Amino acid sequence: MLNFNHPDDERLSALAFRDTDATADTSLTAHVSSCDRCTDLVNDLGALRASLAELPDLQPSRPLRLLPEVEAEPVAVDRFGGWARRFFAPVLTAGAALAMVGLVGTTVPALDGMASSAGGQADSAESTKAVSEPAAEAPEEAAPEPSVALGAAAPSERSTAEGADGLAADSADASASAAADGFADPSATTATEGSGEETENRALASDESNSDREAMTQLPADRSPWPMVLFTGVALMVAAALLRWILVPRAG
Amino acid sequence: MTDALERAPANRTPPLPDEAAVIARAAAGDRTAFAQLMEHYQGACYGLARRLLNDADQAADATQDAFIHAYKAIGGYRGGIFRSWLLRITANASYDIMRRAQRRPSSPLPDPEEGAPELPDAHAVDPVAEATRSELYRHLEVALRGLPEDQRTAVVLCDVYGMDYNEVAAMTKSALGTVKSRIHRGRLRLRALMAEHRELFTR
Repeated sequence: MLNFNHPDDERLSALAFRDTDATADTSLTAHVSSCDRCTDLVNDLGALRASLAELPDLQPSRPLRLLPEVEAEPVAVDRFGGWARRFFAPVLTAGAALAMVGLVGTTVPALDGMASSAGGQADSAESTKAVSEPAAEAPEEAAPEPSVALGAAAPSERSTAEGADGLAADSADASASAAADGFADPSATTATEGSGEETENRALASDESNSDREAMTQLPADRSPWPMVLFTGVALMVAAALLRWILVPRAG
Repeated sequence: MTDALERAPANRTPPLPDEAAVIARAAAGDRTAFAQLMEHYQGACYGLARRLLNDADQAADATQDAFIHAYKAIGGYRGGIFRSWLLRITANASYDIMRRAQRRPSSPLPDPEEGAPELPDAHAVDPVAEATRSELYRHLEVALRGLPEDQRTAVVLCDVYGMDYNEVAAMTKSALGTVKSRIHRGRLRLRALMAEHRELFTR
């Protein structure tokens, strides 16, 4: 039956897809049932609806990651450990260097002798005092010489006790030697100018001072600083390593 | 809002046999259970994204995004059909990608799935009918890709995945009347595109 007064296609679509307002519209359903064109359209759309609703799932063409990546747990800020590492590294290095220097100094005889000489000069006051201790036992006939400088004081005490005579020439040599060695000994200079007993005493004192310095340069090897350097270096290394092991957190 | 997505046809992914228990484990943080769910439903999610986006790579990206959203949201899952819940997330993820793509238009790469016929199921009761159905589906997919994007989105969400008009309007941020118009125009255009394969409907 021909009916040119067709309903709107969207209404027919709604009827085909079973929208409730369209299926409830009796005039619409009546027209469709009496119109071949609209019937075909509704049937086609109905078949389309059924097919669309049955479209199967699709499988992805590439594998998908099913799980989001696990967020990396934030690393605890190891402020103390970092500080300790920065602190102990140079201490360990310094200890190792000291130990190495000490080891070389201890094992190489030439270096050991040099160190003994240097150590003897550095500790001249102490060494001189140690050598002059026997002089203190001498009779105190001669008055102490307060003007004698460091290193010459003790021998001057001994000068009158030994009672040397006519040693002016020796004293002059001694004063020159003392000056050359850097010993400030004004009393020795005075002895070359003066005369009498005081001058002789001073000359003798300078001579004794010279001989004591020679003795000082022959200190035994156990006065060498190298073992102490070695010991200090090893002690630093051990202490730093131990503290680092205790204080710095370890992995795992 | 009616959950029309619950009307999943038989040829789509059915629920897992022990789905409620798996969902509960996944909601409690069991990643293995969550992976099991996503593996089971990845075809459904990818199918929706693929039909909405009309691009295989973008569809895979949208599916992955949906999995991430689902992973974050599954702790708040409050029952209902899990497939529908997951498909809504996928639709939103796909629509996000679609909007981004509209801002930065680019020509999609050639689709490797284009025109590839599905092999009929050799174990089907009626292999001929199965082959015809596969042919129909393939032509329908091609016809869907021929729709304008707004019509395709509306038709896919409403007629393929069963969302109601209001839900489609909310998802596409469009007026209800606009959505209805797009859907009806899309259906009529699909009919025109499928006219030469009309015989496939009747077999």
